[in-house]
Amino acid sequence: MAVDGTGAMGAGGVILSCSGVYKTYRLGRVDVPVLHGVSMSVREGEWVAILGASGSGKSTLMHILGGLDRADRIVRRTACPKCAYDLTGLKAEVCPECGGSVAGILPSEKPAATRVEFRGQDLTRMSVSQLDTYRNRSVGFVFQFYHLLPELTVVENALLPAMQRWGRLGFMRKRGELMGQARMILESFGLGHRLEHRPAELSGGERQRTAIARALINDPPILLADEPTGNLDQKTGESILDSVARARGGSAPGQANAAKRTIVMVTHDARVAARADRVVRLVDGRVAEGVEAGTGV
Amino acid sequence: MYQSLLTRRYLTSKIMPWLAMVSVALCCMITLVVWSIMGGFLDVFKDIGRKMEGDVSITWPTVGFGYYEDLISRLEKDPMVAGAAPVIRTYGMVSLPDDRAVAATIQGVDGRYAKIGNFEESIWWRPLGRAVRKDARAQDPRLNPNWWREMEDTFRVTKSLDGRPVEAPPPGSFRSWEQMYEDGKRLMVRDPRTGEDRAAAVPGIELGGFSQRQPGGWYKAPEFAASRRSDGQNVWSSAFLPSRSIMITVLPMDRNGRDIATRSLKLPVANEFRSGFFETDKSTMLVHLSVLQKLLKMEAGEVLGAGPVNPYAIEGEDGSERPAEAKVVRVEPAKVTTVLVRAKSGVASEELRDRVEGIYEGFARAHEGHVPSGDQMRTSRGITTWERSFAVFIGQVQKETVTVLMLLLLISLVCTVLILAIFWSMVNEKTKDIGILRSVGCSRGGVAWIWLRYGATIGLVGAVLGLAAGCAIVWNINPIHEWLGQVAGIQMWDPSVYYLPEIPNKVRADKAAIVGASAVFLSLMGALVPAVRAANMDPVRALRFE
Repeated sequence: MAVDGTGAMGAGGVILSCSGVYKTYRLGRVDVPVLHGVSMSVREGEWVAILGASGSGKSTLMHILGGLDRADRIVRRTACPKCAYDLTGLKAEVCPECGGSVAGILPSEKPAATRVEFRGQDLTRMSVSQLDTYRNRSVGFVFQFYHLLPELTVVENALLPAMQRWGRLGFMRKRGELMGQARMILESFGLGHRLEHRPAELSGGERQRTAIARALINDPPILLADEPTGNLDQKTGESILDSVARARGGSAPGQANAAKRTIVMVTHDARVAARADRVVRLVDGRVAEGVEAGTGV
Repeated sequence: MYQSLLTRRYLTSKIMPWLAMVSVALCCMITLVVWSIMGGFLDVFKDIGRKMEGDVSITWPTVGFGYYEDLISRLEKDPMVAGAAPVIRTYGMVSLPDDRAVAATIQGVDGRYAKIGNFEESIWWRPLGRAVRKDARAQDPRLNPNWWREMEDTFRVTKSLDGRPVEAPPPGSFRSWEQMYEDGKRLMVRDPRTGEDRAAAVPGIELGGFSQRQPGGWYKAPEFAASRRSDGQNVWSSAFLPSRSIMITVLPMDRNGRDIATRSLKLPVANEFRSGFFETDKSTMLVHLSVLQKLLKMEAGEVLGAGPVNPYAIEGEDGSERPAEAKVVRVEPAKVTTVLVRAKSGVASEELRDRVEGIYEGFARAHEGHVPSGDQMRTSRGITTWERSFAVFIGQVQKETVTVLMLLLLISLVCTVLILAIFWSMVNEKTKDIGILRSVGCSRGGVAWIWLRYGATIGLVGAVLGLAAGCAIVWNINPIHEWLGQVAGIQMWDPSVYYLPEIPNKVRADKAAIVGASAVFLSLMGALVPAVRAANMDPVRALRFE
């Protein structure tokens, strides 16, 4: 098993991969490194769980894979190459301990080595509008806290990505077809009686199923789920995982795509991760050695 | 697509945008009301002024100039000129039937004055077929064709009032509305005793202060006025000016502007006029041109050469010779102080003035030495447009209007800042929504457009509401003003201060369009900064926003 998490399983080619991904957030005056050169890849139709403790960088990695965030272009040093003095939070060009230069980038961590690829296209080189299109057509996000628009009804929330995709005229032209599709997906998730309800009138499970329906409306090849059961009780969480599994099984109801959907699911719960084909463990912003196979159930 | 959906939902689910909309509506309403009233004041003033003064005037004040008939015929041959009229303007005193004497501008005109403006329309007492719009109860005396007979009966029957005798005016003083209208147009009254026409006066309807304007826009014909007879007894007499005579006193001057001697003349009142410009109606009296020419010694006459120092002196050794009589050295033509010129439709005043200057040059050359030269006229700005003669006044009103509009613009900017603050707070509140939209692929521009569209909608709805309210107020400003006066005793519009007896109540479409468009623009400006902020939000941070 590869230490960089690229030990992809399954029959398809690589659909999503990253290598040498670094990410540092700035909190006030302190730089907090989150990802330290993460590399991994996911094959078409594969269900991969990124497992890690809170703060391990798994959500950040998912955001970068989904084009919602960008990997750092310049890698900051975290320790002096000569004396290993901890440079976290410092902007110095010279090590305060040994006086050696700490400017520049480690030879093995050049930004050129940072790549995030979707079907061979490098997301790090995409413009903002290209990333918008990528998120709209190739990726469907499911978040822990559902993230539904409170002013819109269930069906309107589900149709939101389609509204963006087709524009005003296109949406009006395809309105009947898209509405039928949204209704079919929502009905398959047991939300047929909730179409005109607002999110505030739904239970947590119903909200999450609405979020999954929204993620599927444009029939994206990848579903990115960030702790989809994290805010739910165990029983509801199980039903949500069933919904995710159903979403994976070829196209969603009413959609023509016959290939299995690729799922990347972030979780801190090993039991949830066990539903995946493969588990990539993330520890302190690095892929841990060894890749576990999930049950894929 | 999602932008219009979200704009609609945000509008219907939040109270804050409605507050912004109300503030936009209020700004629009105030601006439209103020601009319409102040601009309307200027428009009405210009319209009335042009109707009274013509487009261009040729003036040589006080002493006047002769050969004006030649000048008028030269002017009327020009294709730009619709008509020209001779006028004499002087200041004088008017003695009223109740023994008051008021200062007034006395203007001598003849029938040609009607060509300049709306003199005939301004004559007030005349037959009226139907009540004016605001006279709902049809109380205007002009609607009653027998009013004059009723007045005669009143004075025949009423011999005393409050213990004081009532003096009836001479027979024939009350005339039918038709007769009064004709008399007013001619500035003549037929003497009931001799049957001959007598020169008469037509004062402004506010000059005597007897006729009282009613809220409905009509005038109540007054009946009795307290006055004192020459023997000192207090009596009641007719207060209806067109049934009375008034005395005018003027000061003629010689060609060098030196006074000669005051002259007075008692004239019957043929009618009253209402120009719609309070100041004119309060302080102007029209008389026939010939009357003023005579009083001011501006009529045609012979000029005698030097005569004997003493016509009774004994000349010759035996005293048989008579001193030489003064001889006529020239005939002085009749004079006027002003010739008013009306432009044909489509001719600009400035354009006409240039043409009139040229015509006057030719006229002055033809009468060199007897009329002011072209150079004199040019340097004294004797030939001018109406707007230029009142440039100071018009300029002041225009500046005042601009100042008020600037203040209103500042208020509108406060409204813009209010929208900015409301939108800023809404963008804050909706940060997570923005993250969600970005996560499903909505572009930065699309997110910004939600807020710009939202701002434009608030501006548009606010502008429509504000313009509707503003129009309703302007159209009904006079009844509202009267109602305020009755209920709260508030009288904001004093005709003696603002010149016009009524508050202008017209809304110009171009002004309304400018106000509406500005409201939408300023609302967009208010929404712009929050929209840019929303568009530039980092989606990850937005999704994590608590």
